[in-house]
Amino acid sequence: MILAIQEIKTNLKSLLIWGFCVGGMCLGCLLLYESVRESMEGIGDMFADMGAFSAALGMDKVNIGTLEGYYAVEISILLSLGGAMFSALLGAGLCAKEEEGHTTEFLNALPLKRSRILAEKYAAFLVLLILFHGICTALILGGFGCMGEPPHWESLLKYHGAVLFMCVEVGTVSFLLSVWSRKRPVGAAVGLAMALYMTDLMCRVVPALEKAKYITPFYYCSGADIFSGESADLLVWGVGIGVTALALLGAFWKYARKDLD
Amino acid sequence: MGNAIEMRELTKTYGRNRGIREISLTVEEGDMFGYLGPNGAGKSTSIRCLLGMIHASSGEARVLGCQVGRQQSEILGRVGYVPAECFLYPAMKVEEVIRYAARMRRMDCTKEADRLCDRLEVDKGKRIRELSLGNRKKVSIVCALQHRPELVIMDEPTSGLDPLMQEIFFELVTERNKEGATCFLSSHVLQEVRRYCRHAGILKEGRLVKADTVENLIGASLRRVRLSGMSVSELPSVPGIGDVSREGEDMVFSFQGEMQELLGALQGLRIKDMLITEPSLEEAFMHYFSK
Repeated sequence: MILAIQEIKTNLKSLLIWGFCVGGMCLGCLLLYESVRESMEGIGDMFADMGAFSAALGMDKVNIGTLEGYYAVEISILLSLGGAMFSALLGAGLCAKEEEGHTTEFLNALPLKRSRILAEKYAAFLVLLILFHGICTALILGGFGCMGEPPHWESLLKYHGAVLFMCVEVGTVSFLLSVWSRKRPVGAAVGLAMALYMTDLMCRVVPALEKAKYITPFYYCSGADIFSGESADLLVWGVGIGVTALALLGAFWKYARKDLD
Repeated sequence: MGNAIEMRELTKTYGRNRGIREISLTVEEGDMFGYLGPNGAGKSTSIRCLLGMIHASSGEARVLGCQVGRQQSEILGRVGYVPAECFLYPAMKVEEVIRYAARMRRMDCTKEADRLCDRLEVDKGKRIRELSLGNRKKVSIVCALQHRPELVIMDEPTSGLDPLMQEIFFELVTERNKEGATCFLSSHVLQEVRRYCRHAGILKEGRLVKADTVENLIGASLRRVRLSGMSVSELPSVPGIGDVSREGEDMVFSFQGEMQELLGALQGLRIKDMLITEPSLEEAFMHYFSK
């Protein structure tokens, strides 16, 4: 796992920056709740009754006036979007950076099978994602601790597990883009993450777009849904697992056949 | 003695672009082989095919008895490669890159790496981004030689090195060759090939036009002919004449073929003087390229 360790070392700075920024923002917003608690309690009902806007953000399912509801609606957006962006950037850089930096020749002159190179890079990606979520979760739990209100552990665990898997899915698709590209497909990867987030909002608001919930991984990791006790149907999860598996297989297939620059 | 490299009708096409076409070449184990050709002739493409970095469109190749493509990691484990352009990880220190390359081979090459670094005067404490092209090249050479490979493939290895370092580099390569390693030197510096290689192949527009001993490439039936007292327009059309140029009052050209035929064609022309010599490798090279 020498290559995987090297990959983790290379991305360590980025991991710490993203982990502490996203986790720090979540922590900051949690701590901010104390100062907005009273006003939130007052406007909770109003937010729940804002039609499409409430449906899009899940405010019709949880009470934003409670810490848990506030976390499920407000903070989950930060974590989901931040996590998706981090994983998209990470996945997009894994292979394409070698071609962009012209280090492919050095790497591929070493006695490693291409499948091994890719497997180690993907393993590093998974470890980095887990570390990222570890940092964010630790800071969020610290926030709950400071607030003196423990969260609903089962919902929190389910939510963080779902967000982690969403990041794996977005990152794996970006990883596939990275294998196909000669330059880091940063724009495409971040754009993809943002488009999937927008798709989630739209499919919750526009009835005609309801089926789009099968496309976007943000659907199954909605904080409001999970904290309100709802869970996405199995097909949504199945599509997510299928897309991840296909993207990974596609990456291995392409990398084995690719002419390297 | 077996073959270190075997290419059989190896072809790589890039759409309309050239690539390489039907190259068949054998390099014996223990040889020091020069691979000559101008930029774009297909030298690097051939090497990348051998190293499995690009996939041949047709034909096949074997390196150290292993089939390229199918036994690639075994090949790479026994080969050292010095690329033409040395791009390494900018944030890593020199010693980290060297150790990383050794660890990927599951070998402890510390002793040999230290020896090579001393000979090439490599500063191991610097970061790659702080190094000049020549110093990056030196690091690349250490990475390629530290595991004492059976085959060293070098793609224009001296570009960027100062003349003193070029000498030291060839000392190291010659040492490895004397110890039994095969050396495959791709270059357009003819002096290097003439001085260090026993065999050479000449590539032109993706095709191998000639492969022989360096001695035969220079000698063979190729001659350099200098004529005084006649103009280019008067030169008879004889097959084998190439690389025609004027040097002051003289006309100079290379000729490969039956000398009798040339002399017969020159009969009766107003020639003041005539000098026929064996060509240098440079002249032989130019002869193949002017065809």
